Amino acid sequence: MKKHFLPAAAAALALVLGASGCQDTVNTMENRDLAMNPDSVDTRAFSTDSFCRDRLALISMRRSTTPGGVMMVQAQIRSERYGFWSEMWSGMTGTNPYHVLYRFDWMDQNGMAVSTAANAWQPLIFAPGEVKFIQGVAPNSRCKDFILSVREDPSAR
Amino acid sequence: MKTISIFTVAALAAGFLCGCGSSARRIDPTTQGVTTVRDVNTRDWNDVAARAVNSLVASGALVRQDGRKAIVMINEVKNRSGSRARTQILTNKLRQAMLASGKAVTTTAVGGRGPEDNATRQIRELENDDLFNQATVQKRGTVISPDLSLSGEIINQATSSGRTRENTFYFHVVLTDLKTGLAIWEDNFEITKQETVNIFGY
Repeated sequence: MKKHFLPAAAAALALVLGASGCQDTVNTMENRDLAMNPDSVDTRAFSTDSFCRDRLALISMRRSTTPGGVMMVQAQIRSERYGFWSEMWSGMTGTNPYHVLYRFDWMDQNGMAVSTAANAWQPLIFAPGEVKFIQGVAPNSRCKDFILSVREDPSAR
Repeated sequence: MKTISIFTVAALAAGFLCGCGSSARRIDPTTQGVTTVRDVNTRDWNDVAARAVNSLVASGALVRQDGRKAIVMINEVKNRSGSRARTQILTNKLRQAMLASGKAVTTTAVGGRGPEDNATRQIRELENDDLFNQATVQKRGTVISPDLSLSGEIINQATSSGRTRENTFYFHVVLTDLKTGLAIWEDNFEITKQETVNIFGY
């Protein structure tokens, strides 16, 4: 029993050290006294994928108006797949970096979806802990409401 | 004898499996479409078009001071990438977005490779045709000249290291004010794809 314990412990230690050495996370810092005065958007989410929900965190959702009077929204999203176990699992399953797809759909005043070339699913790749900004621009000034859809990219697995 | 039978069954099974295909079906190109390193694929076009549309609409470049809708001529997006990219896919999506914006309309009377629709010129040639009621024939001097021109270019940079191949496509799109010749909006979009081939090279 004792004969097998030492090699097993050494192998486990090597695995832990190896996995720890493989961490490739993004570290961020920002100015504490923010000068910006953003127009935040209250959001309500409908999530069907608990994995995607736990792996990405919506930090902020803001809106603005372009020079042409068109609404523009920006979501600030951070990958939560950092930390020892998260990274080890994502490394083993080949999902590091994390590939997701996102899409903006826009509605006019009557609640009708407006079709545009910008409706397509767009890819986004997150390193562990990375913060990304995704922006959507309304197809015209009549569109004020939107739905942001996010899903894991099955073609990247 | 038994060995021969096993080999026969195995050969038949292998032949059957190799001959298997799938019937034609509609797919979601975003998740099921083919991705190749050498070419620009459907999901790449969709991605670049969405980014270009967002950038163009957000820039406000289509808005005119006099409130009139801008008339945009679709010029050529040159493909210098060596791939079989059909650049019309991008320009068609951009013109659709410009129309949807309510700030611009596109003209088909002129284009980078000649008029997209010859009818504008052809119907004016009916002015000497007594078959037609001349009051209904479109008059000369009524076609509106474009204010802006949309053009662009696609180039690529391919590289490889060992069995890994990489290809980056650079899309450059420009909107030119035809009065001044100045570019009032331009943007670049990149798509990088990579694959590692097996030891047999495919």
